[in-house]
Formats: sequence, C-alpha cells, structure tokens
Amino acid sequence: MSSITSLHTRKRVSQHVAFWIFRLTALAVVAVLVWILGFLFVNGASVISWEFLTSEPTNGMTEGGILPAIVGTLCLVAGSMLFAFPVGVLSGIYMNEYAKNGWIIRFIRMMTDNLGAIPSIVFGLFGMSLFVNALDFGDSIIAGSLTLGLLVLPIVIRTTEEALKTVDDTLRHASLALGASKFYTVCHVVLPVAMPNILTGLILAIGRVSGETAPILFTVAAYFLPKLPSSIFDQVMALPYHLYVLATSGTDLIASRRMAYGTALVLIVIVLILNICATLIRKHFTKHQAK
Amino acid sequence: MARRKLAIVNEKIAETIIRVCGWISSLTILLMVVFLFKEGAGLFSSKQVEDGYVLAVNKSNKVDHLGVENIKDIFDMEITNWKEVGGEDMDIIVFRFTDITNYVSAEQLGADFENLPQCIDSVLAANAGMIAFFPETYMPENFSGKRIDGDNITLSSFFAGTEWFPTATPAPIFGILPLFLATILVSLAAIIMAVPLALSVAIYMAELASPKVRKILKPTIELLAGIPSVVYGFFGLVVFVPMVQKAFDLPVGETALAGAIILAIMALPTIITVSEDAMRSVPRSMKEASLALGATHWQTIWKVIMPYASSGIIAAIVMGVGRAIGETMAVLMVTGNSAVIPDSLLTPVRTIPATIAAELGEAPVGGAHYQALFMLGCILFVITLLISLAANKIQSKKK
Amino acid sequence: MMIQAEHINFYYGTFQALKNINMEIEANTVTAFIGPSGCGKSTFLRLINRMNDLIPDAKMDGTLKVEDKDIYAPDVKVDELRKRVGMVFQKPNPFPKSIYDNLAYGLRVNGVKDKKIIDERVETSLKGAALWDEVKDKLNKSAYDLSGGQQQRLCIARALAVQPSILLMDEPASALDPISTSKIEDLIFELKKDYTIVIVTHNMQQATRVSDKTAFFYLGNLIEYDDTQKIFLNPKEKETQNYITGRFG
Repeated sequence: MSSITSLHTRKRVSQHVAFWIFRLTALAVVAVLVWILGFLFVNGASVISWEFLTSEPTNGMTEGGILPAIVGTLCLVAGSMLFAFPVGVLSGIYMNEYAKNGWIIRFIRMMTDNLGAIPSIVFGLFGMSLFVNALDFGDSIIAGSLTLGLLVLPIVIRTTEEALKTVDDTLRHASLALGASKFYTVCHVVLPVAMPNILTGLILAIGRVSGETAPILFTVAAYFLPKLPSSIFDQVMALPYHLYVLATSGTDLIASRRMAYGTALVLIVIVLILNICATLIRKHFTKHQAK
Repeated sequence: MARRKLAIVNEKIAETIIRVCGWISSLTILLMVVFLFKEGAGLFSSKQVEDGYVLAVNKSNKVDHLGVENIKDIFDMEITNWKEVGGEDMDIIVFRFTDITNYVSAEQLGADFENLPQCIDSVLAANAGMIAFFPETYMPENFSGKRIDGDNITLSSFFAGTEWFPTATPAPIFGILPLFLATILVSLAAIIMAVPLALSVAIYMAELASPKVRKILKPTIELLAGIPSVVYGFFGLVVFVPMVQKAFDLPVGETALAGAIILAIMALPTIITVSEDAMRSVPRSMKEASLALGATHWQTIWKVIMPYASSGIIAAIVMGVGRAIGETMAVLMVTGNSAVIPDSLLTPVRTIPATIAAELGEAPVGGAHYQALFMLGCILFVITLLISLAANKIQSKKK
Repeated sequence: MMIQAEHINFYYGTFQALKNINMEIEANTVTAFIGPSGCGKSTFLRLINRMNDLIPDAKMDGTLKVEDKDIYAPDVKVDELRKRVGMVFQKPNPFPKSIYDNLAYGLRVNGVKDKKIIDERVETSLKGAALWDEVKDKLNKSAYDLSGGQQQRLCIARALAVQPSILLMDEPASALDPISTSKIEDLIFELKKDYTIVIVTHNMQQATRVSDKTAFFYLGNLIEYDDTQKIFLNPKEKETQNYITGRFG
C-alpha cells in the first residue's frame, strides 16, 4: 500500500512540476513580447513628434524626421496590394471554387505552401533578376512592389481559400438552383459572405509588406533620398530599410540611434494597429457566423 | 438575347482570368528556378582571375596552374617561393601593373603610356620568378610570358572551399563552407533553444490554458510573428549584443550566439502554432481512453497526445528550421559578419542570407561575385524548398 | 453497495442535465441505463469515474460514493479512482500503438514495470475479453489492424488490465455490426462474475439481454429503476411505458 501511495505521489509531483514549467514558459513568451514592445516604446516615445513624422532626415540622418520612409512604405504597401490582392483572391477562388481535378489542385496547393516557405531574401534576388534586370524596371517602386506582392501572395491565397471554405455549401446550391451561373454565384453569394475573412488576410499581408527588408534591398530601397517619389519608376526610402541603415550603417551610429528608436517604434505601431484590426474583423465575423 | 450572349462571353473571360491567377504561385516558383539559376549559373564558366585581367608568369616557369587560395597567398606575400606551389626553388616576385614605375622610367612608358604593354612584356621576360597581374587592355602583342589564368571556378572550390573572400585580387575566393557552417550553427542553436520553449507553450495552450488565457496567448503569439525581422534585429543589436558581450567578456558582442537567441524568439511562433494545432487535433477519445485507465493528465499528454501529434510536432520543428535558415535581416544585424568557419557560438559569423544581403549591393552586375551571390540564393532556395516539402510530407502523413 | 448516488444534480453552465438522482448499484450486477438522447444517462455514467471533470463550466452537487467512499471528496485522487472504475467508450478508441502496448498502457501509467507481470496481465485480460485466441500471434501488430469489433474488445481488455472493480460502458456496441455486438454481449455476461458493470444503451433488446437492473432516464430525471424484468414487462411509470413501447425516443 505504501509503495502505491508513493507512486501516486510521484505521479502527481511530476505532473505538478511539468505543469508549472509549462505555465512559466507561456508566461515567459508573453514577457518577451512585453519586453520588446516596452523597450521600444520607452526608448522611442520621446522621439516621436509631429515633426519626426512629417519632415525629412537631415544632418546625416541624425536629425529631422522619417517622412520619405513613411511615404515610401505606403507606396510599397499600395503597390504590392494592388498586385497581390486581386491575384491572390482570384487564385483562392480558383482553388476553392473551380479547380476540382485532383492532381492539379494538389500541385498548385503544394507550390503555394512552398512559396510561403521560401526566404524573403530569395524573393529579393528573384525580383532583382526579373523586374530590375530582365524587365528593365531598374530600382523602382514597381519592381519592389511586385517583389513584395509575390512574397505575400501565399498568405492572401491561403486566407482566401480558408474564408471560402467556411461558406456553407447550401448557400451555393441555393443560388445555383435558382438558375444563377457559377460565376454569378461566386460573385454575389459566396464572396460577400467570405469577404471579412479575406480582409483579415489582406491586413496580415499589409503587415508583412510594411516590415520586410530583404526583398526591397535590391529592388527599390534607397539609402538616403530626401525627396518624395513622383512616378512608379522612382526609388524610395522605406521604413524597415531605413531602420536597418540607421542601426548599422548610418554616418554616425551613436547620433542616429535616437532616430532608429523612433523608426522602430513607428514600425511596431503599424504592425500593432494592423494586428488589432485583423483581430477585430475576425471577432466581428465569427459573431456574425454564429447568428 | 445579345445581352445574354455578352454576359456569357464576359463570364468566360473572367473565369479564364481566375484560372490564370490560380497558376501564378506555381509559375512563380518555376520562374524563380529559371531566373536564380540563370544569374548564378555563369559562375562555373567564369575565370578564377577577375574578369578583364591577366595573370601571367615567366615563360620558363614550370607552374601552369594556381588555385585561388595560392594566388591570394602569393599576392599577400604569404607564399614567397615557387617551390611551395610546385615550381622550382625560386623567390616569387609579385608584379602589379602599377609597380611598373619601379622597373622602367616614365620616358620609356611614353607620354600616353603607349609603351606600357611592351614594358610589361620585357619586365616579365627579364625576371624568371615574376608573377604579373595587369588589365587585359595592356596585353602586349606577341606576349612572351605564360598566362595562368585559364582555369575556371570549379564546383569543388565553391562548395568545399573553406574561405570566402569575394573581393580578393587578383583572384576572388568563393568557398561557401564558412557561410554554410555558420548558417547551420546559428539555426541549430536557435532551434535547440526554441523547441523546448515552444513545445511547453504549445502544450500549455492546447491542454492547460483556460479559454480566457488562450484568448490572450493566441494574439500575443501572432503579434510575435508579425514583428518585422529588422525590428528583431535592432532589438537584438541594442539589447542582446551588449548582454552577450558582457556575459562572456568578449571583445565584441556580435556573435553567433546573439543571432541564435534572436532567431530562437523568431522561430517560436511558427513552432508553437503548428504543434499546438497538431496537439489539438488529437481525438478527444484518445485522451479520454488514457484518463479512464487511471493515467494522470501529464501522463496522458506525454504518452498519448505527444506521440499522436508527433508528426505535426516534427513538421513544426522542421518549419522552424526552415524559417531560421532563411532569416536575413535580424541575423545580418547581430552576428558580426565575419566569413570564417565558426569554431564556437561566441565568434562572429556570417550566414548565407546575410552574405547575400550585405554584398549584393556592392557586387557589379554580371560579375563573378554577383553570380556567386545568386548561386548562394539558389542554394538557399533549394534547401528551404526541400525543408518545406519535407515538412508538408511529414504533416500530411498521419491524416 | 458498490455505487451510491444521493441527490445528484449536474449542470452544464446554466443547463441542468441531471435532477436529484438517487440510485444504488450492487456489486457483480449489470445495470443498464436507457432513455432517449439527451436524457442524462451518459452524463450520469461519466460522473462515476469523474470523466465530466474535463468539461469546463460543469458543476455537480450531491454525493456519489463508490465502495462507500465519496469520490468527489477533496482528498480523492482522480487517477486512482479511474483505475478502480474502468470505462469503455462508444467508439473503439485504441491508441495508435501495438496491441500489446495498448494493454500495457494502463499498467505502465500506474507504475508497473515488471515485464513478467505485464505479460501475464496482458494475457489474462485478453482472455477475459475473449480476444486472446484471435490476437495471440500478433501482439506486436498495430491495434488499428484489428476489425471494429475486435478493437472494441481490445478496449474492454485494456480496461480490464488495470483490474478495476467497476466497468462503465457507454453504448459499447453502437458502432458495431450485429455479430460483433453479440460477442460483446456474451462477454458482458461473462464479466459480470468479477465486475460490476454499468452500461448505457440505446438498444432496449440489448438491455433486456444483458442487464439485471435497468434505470430509465428522461429529461434529466431518473424516472424508474428496478429489475430489468419488471421495467420491461410491468413498468410503473407512464413515461417508461411510452418509451419501451416506442412511442417516443
């Protein structure tokens, strides 16, 4: 009897220890996030000002603001979404609604999954080779946008597909039974229902695009260019690349550290806002679904 | 009637567009293969010696070939006698074409250097132990020396070369082992740190956390995944790098270890999300069967849930490795960028993606360096593609 | 008394799934729980080995005693209780392991390491579940290679291996074909000698065939509980009669 009791004590003690380890690691992961965010907020908050957001960098990028980088990132987000959103959504529609034959869909899905796993620097090389050199766009917004667009394509396709999957088949059948064509059904019945979830994917993609550095290094990003772009064939500065430059290769690393904190904070805030938006949309959507 | 026909035509067009878009990601991967290899492939048909330059020795010299490492050592004055590279016992005289004024006077060269080629020829002919390096434009007619720059860059010198020295003159050295080993070292160290943490969190989320806690944890982890890598790099640079430097009393904090720590944090979300999904997909009946036999919750997790979810967990780890290998900016910013074969976690290293990011901007388009960097891109592409294929294969095995 | 329930109320959130249940079950009997879906019979069954602990937001009051001990007392160790109260589920749920490892699992988690004892227990429980002859040559094969009926008997054997005194069966034959079902029923009859068995079933013929006593649940109430013969031939309550004559269900 005593050996049984000791066994049970042992069982419970090991469970107790293991579970506390799990709780603590979970807490640690949250702590890491809080640490990163807190650190950047504390150091960056004093830098942020209206002037910082709306003026150009001056004095060897140790003073002034980051307006050209903000504008550049906005251009890249807009450009890449103009490409990735329609193409990605249409791909998702194709995969979920049209392609029904076994191997084709499996092949495309495999390629999409793998495309998502390829490092962004490889996209950078590819973009440089195809858009900058072969198509002769040069270092330009269009080359950078297309590269970034390809990078986030898998995200958009995946979320579109998932969103379409949650649409009840009876809705499709009801529409088809009323004599609507497949295309009409997709446009007027399926897509409106799936749209909020698709938008979540779009927002995540925007978050990714605004933070990526490696793909734009050789396709668009300018080290220092204190004027705003006038056409899609111009180079631009971009927030993430600007942060990289300020942190590692500015003219005076110590003096530009302050600017770097500010830039990092702006980037983080953008990502934070986008994440919150995505969560809100998703929450709103699931509530609707439940009704 | 006509309107109806028009509608049908429009619809057909729209459906065709949809179909084309469906193929675009497949097409992108194929195009990547084409373009990356197109840019990189030239590497093995380009000469060892910098394009547009000539490397020559005296006609009487027995040496016909020199490896890139030897060329570098000769020009760095680390090899000073021909017998060290298989020639006669004779001192090596290094001659760069700018040295010409040490041998001949300005008048002999002529006002517009029109006699320069001839002078090079005679200087080389006069010195049996000389190795000369000069631009092809100054190549003398009826050259009396012996060119030894005919060798191409070889596969083995690229894949098995232990030195990466892309800006060395006259012959740049492209040996990727230091980069490759650094990539493996940093990624493995990161994964070893990340896996226990990530699995603990995944178990906690899948099995222990109340729905309320899960509601907090899930967005936290998504946010962790959403933070741009350059921000991680910056955070690592200002926080971890000084910490590592202080903790181990190092001359510099930019080390493989700092990179591994940052990568570990960055790999967490991938591993947590995928393995948590795997654990959640374990049928409830398995868990109940185990509990009903008197197993504790922990025994059930360890002996039933983990084994059942093992393929998903392994896939998660493999995906984490893939992410770590391909990560560029964060690693570039904190690992110190020294392309030598790493001997410990506390030395500065340079990974494959960091090398591409750091050097491509300076490499002349189409040159050997440029091609070598694209070749690195090809390697990275192939490695990550294989890893991704493997992960998908493992993951789909169970279902 | 093997099992004693006094004034059991059970809630899923705000929904009351069991209302003031009182019941006593004797040792070495087979008791069948019958009633329409959602009547609370499975819920009550799962209270006996505290399987409902897994459900968030669930709440119970009343006392439930197994072998005269209150199993919801704070000092009770759930895993020890579950060792004494085995359970077989609706669908066969063997682990994705070998037949042998399935049987050994319950012993190993309870600290039995001696291979001899495990071997012996594997054999006796497989014999107990009338499966030994069919699987003795392939103990190291995956349990998934067995047919559905064999898998369910494996799950019974797995429950027997930890030597419980009570065996709870939650519609153990509902996912099986008629031949497998009759094998399971024969087995229940055999097991009665050594175990107290509580079985939830949808199938009234099954209840009459295997059980000594039958309890009829309806809308969370225990309507009637008596000898099986009496329940089916001469029910006291109107609802019971309606149910067994198939007027609803």
